[in-house]
Amino acid sequence: MADNKNNSLLEQAADFSRPLLLSPAQDMKGYILSHLGRAFLFLITCTSVLSVLLIFVFIIKESLPFIFQGTWSASINRMWEFFTSVRWYPEAGQPEFGALTLFAGSIYVTFGALLFAVPTSLIAAMFLSDIAPFQVKQICKPIIEVLAAIPSVAYGFFAVLVVAPWMQTHLGLSTGTNALNASIILAIMAIPTIVSVADDAMSSTGRAIREASYALGATRAETLVKVVMPAAHSGIIAAIILGMMRAIGETMVVWMAAGNASQIPTPWWNLGSAVRTMTATIAGEMGETVQGSQHYHSLFMVGLILLAFTFMLNLCSEYFLAQAKKIGKGGKRK
Amino acid sequence: MVTKVLSMPSNERHVIKINRPKMEAKQGNPGLSGSPEVNTIIESRNFWLYYGSKPGVRDITMKVYSSSVTAIIGPSGCGKSTFLRSINRMNDLVPGTHAKGYLGVNGTNVYDPKINLVNLRQQIGMVFQKPNPFSKSIYDNIVYGPKLQGVSKADLDDLVEKCLHSAALWDEVKDDLHKSALALSGGQQQRLCIARALATKPNVLLMDEPCSALDPIATGRIEDLIIQLKKAYTIVIVTHNMQQAARVSDRTAFFCLGELIEYDTTDHMFTNPSNKQTEDYITGRFG
Amino acid sequence: MRLGVRLLINNIFTYFSAISIVLMAGSLLIIIGPMICKGSGAIFFRSTVEFRELQFNMHNRGSKQALDEQKALAESARTPVYEILNHFKQGIDTSSLQTKVRENYRQYGQQLRFQNIDRNKFTEYRNQAKELRDELVAAYESVDVNEIRPHLQKVLDQANNALFQNTPIAEYFQFARDYQQIISTVDLRKRDQYAQELTKVQEQIRLLLGPQPGRGKPALAMDQYGATRMDRAKVVLDELMWTTQWVEIEKGKPLQKKRTPRAEIFAGTEMEKLFSYIEQNLNAMLLPKPAVYWQYLIDDSTPGHFFGGIGPEIIGTLLLTLLAIAFAVPLGIISAAYLVECAGDTITVRIIRICINTLAGVPSIVFGLFGLAFFVLYLFPLAGMQSKPCILAASLTLALLILPVIIRASEEAIKSVPQTYKEASLALGASNFKTFISVTFPAALPGILTGIILSLSRAAGETAPILFTGAVALGPIPRSIFEPTRALSYGSYDIAVGDRIAALVPHQQFGIVTALILLVLGLNICAIAIRWKLAKRFRGT
Repeated sequence: MADNKNNSLLEQAADFSRPLLLSPAQDMKGYILSHLGRAFLFLITCTSVLSVLLIFVFIIKESLPFIFQGTWSASINRMWEFFTSVRWYPEAGQPEFGALTLFAGSIYVTFGALLFAVPTSLIAAMFLSDIAPFQVKQICKPIIEVLAAIPSVAYGFFAVLVVAPWMQTHLGLSTGTNALNASIILAIMAIPTIVSVADDAMSSTGRAIREASYALGATRAETLVKVVMPAAHSGIIAAIILGMMRAIGETMVVWMAAGNASQIPTPWWNLGSAVRTMTATIAGEMGETVQGSQHYHSLFMVGLILLAFTFMLNLCSEYFLAQAKKIGKGGKRK
Repeated sequence: MVTKVLSMPSNERHVIKINRPKMEAKQGNPGLSGSPEVNTIIESRNFWLYYGSKPGVRDITMKVYSSSVTAIIGPSGCGKSTFLRSINRMNDLVPGTHAKGYLGVNGTNVYDPKINLVNLRQQIGMVFQKPNPFSKSIYDNIVYGPKLQGVSKADLDDLVEKCLHSAALWDEVKDDLHKSALALSGGQQQRLCIARALATKPNVLLMDEPCSALDPIATGRIEDLIIQLKKAYTIVIVTHNMQQAARVSDRTAFFCLGELIEYDTTDHMFTNPSNKQTEDYITGRFG
Repeated sequence: MRLGVRLLINNIFTYFSAISIVLMAGSLLIIIGPMICKGSGAIFFRSTVEFRELQFNMHNRGSKQALDEQKALAESARTPVYEILNHFKQGIDTSSLQTKVRENYRQYGQQLRFQNIDRNKFTEYRNQAKELRDELVAAYESVDVNEIRPHLQKVLDQANNALFQNTPIAEYFQFARDYQQIISTVDLRKRDQYAQELTKVQEQIRLLLGPQPGRGKPALAMDQYGATRMDRAKVVLDELMWTTQWVEIEKGKPLQKKRTPRAEIFAGTEMEKLFSYIEQNLNAMLLPKPAVYWQYLIDDSTPGHFFGGIGPEIIGTLLLTLLAIAFAVPLGIISAAYLVECAGDTITVRIIRICINTLAGVPSIVFGLFGLAFFVLYLFPLAGMQSKPCILAASLTLALLILPVIIRASEEAIKSVPQTYKEASLALGASNFKTFISVTFPAALPGILTGIILSLSRAAGETAPILFTGAVALGPIPRSIFEPTRALSYGSYDIAVGDRIAALVPHQQFGIVTALILLVLGLNICAIAIRWKLAKRFRGT
């Protein structure tokens, strides 16, 4: 019986019963379906493109009334004030929109954060890529991930309720919420980003250049600093830019921890004074403005500057990442 | 095996197509002149396949005859797998490939833009180097293809049994049809993959080094199976193993650096190769 | 020698790098350790009888009988406190006593008017009463014992005057007697100071034991109960027992804290023993008992989170994130499938990739602005809906935020499916679509799931995008997705920088942020576990 079945199957074979060749007209359904399907998928994929466009369009649309109002010279004067004046009094009887302090505040906390984060993360990335044994690496990766995953509001909470009182009592600062506090917390938030990207960049430079360096009698530290880091420089730059983006776009921590005083610190290196960033200004003031007022549009203008800035940083990081990828490929081929 | 072909209902259509290739076969391959009536099922004429700008196979001209086993041998990277995968256009998955020349299956150019890939692949089964059953049950693995063709549920049980018989796997798995296919041994998995390929009722079975991942006993069983199956199917097998080619195949093609060096009956090729390169390879002097 | 230096540098470098990693792990511990420790106090603590009463009154939890028994027990321990307090107040809180005296006088006048006596008599009686009143008021106003005594004597001389029997004026004599007793123990020159301190003491006792019995129910929920937790009770007790002053010990140095027992202020008065009594009988008055208040996670809270739990916040966060996931996941997976399976390396695809990366880099606050400008102010009116922040707008904004995360994770997952799987399916004559649905997608599912879980945690933790699009600090539990909601993330912000009340309930502050951290952490650990299992599976085959 088994044999019969076997045979019957064998008999059915060897027959090109189904046409191999179908013109589009013959297979209309399949043809249309496959093209429709592809078009549908493509449209869905374009959602991201659409949302990026919409974000730009709507942020620009809402900030235009702030830029162009009244005569041309008035508009130009207002822009001049926006970028150069340090007086931000949007709700005063004679409102003033000098956003320079806000830019300065953002720059202060961002560079403050990078000051702490970059050395720590680079050295940590080197540890992960070259020094740590496999098991340690297995433990460190989740820690970094968890550090990156903690919500920013929790970091802000920590800054306000734990770091700020500590700073006030132990560092003798007049206020616990200041640029230093925000910078330290932002640094902790930026470290995971920088570490993981820099680690990838350094790991992908390949074993060949390391071996070459060791073979010439260099120590591990010398190999890492003089050979691996230059080889991975574009990846490292991309990592730092990504960390910077994280710091500059962060809202909750700076809103809660930076003190929100619209001023430029004097003397300029005084990180202990309170500052106010672009993000914190938007977050803090948007709830209290009248929709459609000049103040409302000015906040969108601040948002537009922020968006443009991060967009440029993003393009830079992409350029450097692409560069790093090329180098990585080259390294591997050797 | 000829009687099988003749007993087919659509016999006449085939016979018409047979005549032309048969004559060419005689011209191109003197070694076959004495063989009984055969028909060409796959024919390639000046076929090139490029990966980007680099040719994977160059200027291949050969014919594969129905109800026989054709082995393709050659050193690694010589384009034998590339050629095999061109027959059912699996190379399309590699980005940037394009073809030049003629590669026909049953008289139809498979690189015709109008080709219906689904029909083509259903009628040309393929078995891969590494057993690759889906992580489903044995039963579901086999009915995957037939279900796509709309075979009714009632016929499926029967079909599964037939296919497993054909692949000589029935007795081993008949009680575990609904267990995971991944629980089978490597040899069983490979035979399951063959059964799975048979279930779509193909005409041609392409085998890409089907035994390279298996132990000698499993290899032996697969080889027996191949010899069984050639009664009804046209089989093209790529292999590294020259003994295997000698054991199972009727004809052998020798590829080197993307070119077809020699193509002849297996007996002739292994006893009296006409090309120096072939001889070196077969006797183990290179490769 | 030079080699030695180089090796030393190398070793130092190695140690430094190890230290940096330890620092990172340490900062993680330092940040979340204390927060989780303090936050768990919101659920595990020693509850007082006040807490049980609150639970019974608000949620009908616990048995009435047991509660009444406990309340009676606590009441008996508390009675002496109120007795001392009320008695002491008689001599100190003179302004209220004066008001009372004047009130009594007014009542007396009215009573006389109703008695229909003739006009002359009326004036006479009233003048007599007025005399007494003025004597008493004078006595209350004075701080000199020698002045007060004659005043009081004059009042008490009239004690047996039949005229005042059963009239409001009769109370004057009791006042006078009380006052007489008090001036013998209390130094009246310190009366202002006492009065000031007494208000503080009363406030602390209210915080400790709740409103004084028989005084009516306060309007605010936070004033209706005393200390519900023993740790809070200890803090309140400490403030009751000690006064804190900032004093300048050395010139030019920062001020320093100086604590003195409050009992010293009341030295020599009957109040002095109140403090020791409260300190010794705190447990008897509050009847502490360990409690596991798991309902913290489902209960609503009173305004300002003074009592109650974070139920609405948790519901809001779940709604927002799940809705955002529901929008973003189909889009994300389909986009990833297209990018991996269909798209080559054309210019269009490159633009799409740049856009995805840009989307990932947009600051979260800009997403908030966009959500406000686009969804709330543009799209909703266009669709005929009310133009106000709501859950739908917030979750759509969050969906855009997590879209790139999901796309990238899904892309990685789909790419990592072995090519042989796809080949097997295609070789059997399955179409691309069928192959993706029945082979590639199931194989990529764990990886995609990891991405979804990570984006879930990201959405749950984000605050800035929902600030203007749908989060509120106070409000009812939403009934539809067209209403704004509370959320854990925004709640954490609000309670951390909120008003003074929040500072009185640190367990609530830490409780809400701990809930958020644990939610996010739990999701991340899930994702890490799935990935770990996945890696093991791939290593296995």
